Amino acid sequence: MDVFLQSLISGILLGGVYALIGTGLTLIFGVMRVINFAHGDIQMVGMYLTYLLFVHAGIDPFVSVLITFPLMFLFGGLIQKVFINRVLDALPQNQILLTIGLGLIMSNTAMLIFTSDYKILTTSYSSGSVKLGGISISQPMTISFLITVAVTAALWWFLKKTDTGQAIRATAQDRDAAQLMGINVKRMSIIAFGLGSSLVATAGALIAPTYYIYPQVGAAFTLKAFVITVLGGMGSIVGAALGGIIIGISESMGAAYIGAGWKDVVVFALFLLVLLLKPSGLMGKSNA
Amino acid sequence: MKRTLVTMALALGLSGTAWSQALKIGVINSMSGPEAPIGENLTNGIKLAEEDLKKKGILLQIVWEDDTGKPQIAMSAMEKLATRDGVAGIVGPYTSACANAVSKLAERYKTPLLVPAAAKEEITRQGLKYVFRMNAPADVYAAVLVDAATGLGKPKTIAFMYENTDFGTSTTKTAKEYVAKKGIQVVADEPYPKGAQDYRSTLSVIKSKNPDLVFLVSYVADAILIMRQSKEVGLKPQAFLGGGAGYTTAQFATEKAVSNFVFSCTQWTDDVSWPGAKDFGKRYKAKFGKEPTYHAACAYESMMVMADCAQKAKGDKEQTQAALRAGKWNGIMGDVKFEDYNGFTNQNNHQMLVQQLFDGNYETVFPAKFATRKPTYPFPGWK
Amino acid sequence: MTFSPSTRTGLSAGAALLLLAALAIVPRFVQSPYALHVLILIFLSTIMGQAWNILGGYTGQYSVGHAAYFGVGAYVTVSLMLHRQIAPWVGMWAGAAAVVVVALVIGSICFRLRGPYFVLASIAVTEIMRLVATNLKDLTNGAEGILATEIPPLKFGATVITDFGSKVPFYYIGLGLAVLTILVTWAVTHSKLGYCFQAIREDQDAAHSLGINPTLYKNIALAISAVLTSFAGAFYAIYVGFVDPPTVLGLDLSVQIVLICIIGGIGTIQGPMVGACILVPLSEILRSNAVPELLMKWGWMNGESGIGLFLKENLAHAHVLIYGILVVLVILYMPEGLVGFLRRVTRGRRAA
Repeated sequence: MDVFLQSLISGILLGGVYALIGTGLTLIFGVMRVINFAHGDIQMVGMYLTYLLFVHAGIDPFVSVLITFPLMFLFGGLIQKVFINRVLDALPQNQILLTIGLGLIMSNTAMLIFTSDYKILTTSYSSGSVKLGGISISQPMTISFLITVAVTAALWWFLKKTDTGQAIRATAQDRDAAQLMGINVKRMSIIAFGLGSSLVATAGALIAPTYYIYPQVGAAFTLKAFVITVLGGMGSIVGAALGGIIIGISESMGAAYIGAGWKDVVVFALFLLVLLLKPSGLMGKSNA
Repeated sequence: MKRTLVTMALALGLSGTAWSQALKIGVINSMSGPEAPIGENLTNGIKLAEEDLKKKGILLQIVWEDDTGKPQIAMSAMEKLATRDGVAGIVGPYTSACANAVSKLAERYKTPLLVPAAAKEEITRQGLKYVFRMNAPADVYAAVLVDAATGLGKPKTIAFMYENTDFGTSTTKTAKEYVAKKGIQVVADEPYPKGAQDYRSTLSVIKSKNPDLVFLVSYVADAILIMRQSKEVGLKPQAFLGGGAGYTTAQFATEKAVSNFVFSCTQWTDDVSWPGAKDFGKRYKAKFGKEPTYHAACAYESMMVMADCAQKAKGDKEQTQAALRAGKWNGIMGDVKFEDYNGFTNQNNHQMLVQQLFDGNYETVFPAKFATRKPTYPFPGWK
Repeated sequence: MTFSPSTRTGLSAGAALLLLAALAIVPRFVQSPYALHVLILIFLSTIMGQAWNILGGYTGQYSVGHAAYFGVGAYVTVSLMLHRQIAPWVGMWAGAAAVVVVALVIGSICFRLRGPYFVLASIAVTEIMRLVATNLKDLTNGAEGILATEIPPLKFGATVITDFGSKVPFYYIGLGLAVLTILVTWAVTHSKLGYCFQAIREDQDAAHSLGINPTLYKNIALAISAVLTSFAGAFYAIYVGFVDPPTVLGLDLSVQIVLICIIGGIGTIQGPMVGACILVPLSEILRSNAVPELLMKWGWMNGESGIGLFLKENLAHAHVLIYGILVVLVILYMPEGLVGFLRRVTRGRRAA
């Protein structure tokens, strides 16, 4: 029973961060229909930023989100404007390769600057935990989960209640119609990519105290982000949040009951099942 | 197409001509790609060797080749070094997969290859005359740790948790064979994909089996994560045994809250009584701003030995091979001699050490003749 | 100059034969094993790129999971050779048969999806295969990989080739497979099959209304493409002598396969060849630090000067970075690949 509860709790806490990564990707895909293979690398940039702020300015990773978020918004917006914008109408494989190329540039630039050493942030609470019966609840992961919930709620509010948010949603629904309605589609794309980058970088900052940083850290997260996004339904914020939690739980249950080596198989199999049975994702519209 | 070929042949030929009188030695290492974090330690070790050799009056021209961690690229590098650059010998590659792939080529081109730190046993088990290895292979990792544990207590059960890479699985495979001989029962066998964020569920499964020993094989980042999470879930065996790699790094040691009392085996430490080990540690730290790993020491000593032989042989490959086989050295890795035993060929029968962490400091605890401190056993529990 | 289509076909066939003849005698003049090795890698890349081209280029199904077929081909061939003493040139057909089964299973999953979903599904299936290969230790020896040591002698009528340490047999096998792949592609594209493929690429729904069964033809294209890819895998396994899950089933490899085709020119016979001839030497040159070496040799740069030292130290580390920059530049400025770019340029000149 302890094993089950422990896996459930860690799965949910882990899923919170996954949700944030997925939300970032779903926003980008929703608005631009571009599969962003550099997503994990953008997260990596955010992680190094967190690292620099922690080591050189002594800013706690959870606090530094306030700085990382806007900086990464600019970074993502710039990438969209300079690169992604030019391939919006290109063939999907060209879009993919472009983002792969951008990812290679990011990770290898990071390698030249920081070397390929693992950077580990040790905060006072890095291995802190609260005991609850036979199970333990990680302190830093609980905090990051709460921050995730807050960020997701804020994003949801932004998309529903503000003019810009509604314009982004309109663009995601139908790009051409949005343009006809006088929405500045180009600007919305830049904002969406910037926001997507901020979100995934925030996720990077949140896992920094319990994980580690190295130039290639993004690759694994990119794949995971796709799985989460498709699971929840491409373009759906609530879906991505739900998808993140589901993936977190299936990973940790898979590791406990089938074996850690098989947990990613569980995740990918789940992904394929959803693609086949409900291609629009859990929260997507069924006709997509 | 034809013109491309001609230009290519020209370009390949042009830079291949002899450059100077310096001794040419090739290095194949993972300088980029996923293996680069460890590869960098080897690069640094070799750079330090280059400096020291210069002081001794041996001028080296090192031809660096990056294998990016891929066997076929390592083969390219090997072909180039052996047939175009005309090196006297080669130090590298770092990973077992790459070292395996190039070993037959070394034999074919009669180019001495000194593998500094790859653990896979097969590398020196194919009877290849031109392939040498500095470090102790995978079977020793497990044997020395289990010997240390059985010497200290009476463990009856063991749990294995290891990264499902070549290094992790081959080390654990020999470890399982070894504990079977010692009558210790395996209660958990958990390979994990490296780079996961959450090991809590696997660790709580292990905890539920209540093993006497927990044997771990991981690289540094995962090592720290696993120990942090072991503390979280309250795993408390008689001893944590770290199979080399991540558990012997300075970065791991600095995580005092979780690394205290962990046993680990290593090819090298800077407090061992081997000549120059301490000094190497100091100079390495001064030059590169971090603690040397055993990979760095293995690579350093490999380059020193290779350069010594190549110089004696005046750059001739076959004579370098003969010098490697005949020679005997005593440097920062202790006694080095390439011997044939137990099915190995040209294998340095290196003595591995078991160390334990005390408040961020590694102390050698086994074998007794190198011990600097009495071990603490069983594990007294988490602070 | 203008040629009638038939003269042009004749001319390019003649040129192809000339090139083939030139390649066939290369080992007589080039002794350097390194140069031969680079050429062998070019052949290998050509096979992989061309095989992908049939599915990706002509049928418009952008699989980013071709490592699956490469890996199955490699594993089956090596396992049969080691455990059943079956020669690789027999084993590769067993590999091909296995790959057809795998391809049909993958096809039945992935072809229900379109566009980005198809791409993601192809990645997921291949990742599952990589993980399964890592975990099923009894079948694949897991992460430790399989080391192929002895290759049985190859009989060609009266001549028996036993010396597989030399590059020459591999050179000819590689050349032969590359030619085979190109011929298959040519034959396919000049048959009814090819027109059906291209009809599906241009507009799947329109093709369907013309009576072309998209699922059937997509599966045929996938099977052909997968079998050719499995040959590349078998060839790689025997040549390198080592297979493990990340190198033969990794996402890197799938991306590399697509890249060969995209850089060269998608949907053209020459594209994959051009891509291979660019990418292989380029990565060799960047990786082995040849650029600063040459600059120093020619006296344009001093090895001890600040810039020289910087380049010497960093360029070897930066080769993937340069690779990334090139990919980005090609996608932005030559989205139709080099072959397409050259065609556009020459056409532009002709028009002017």
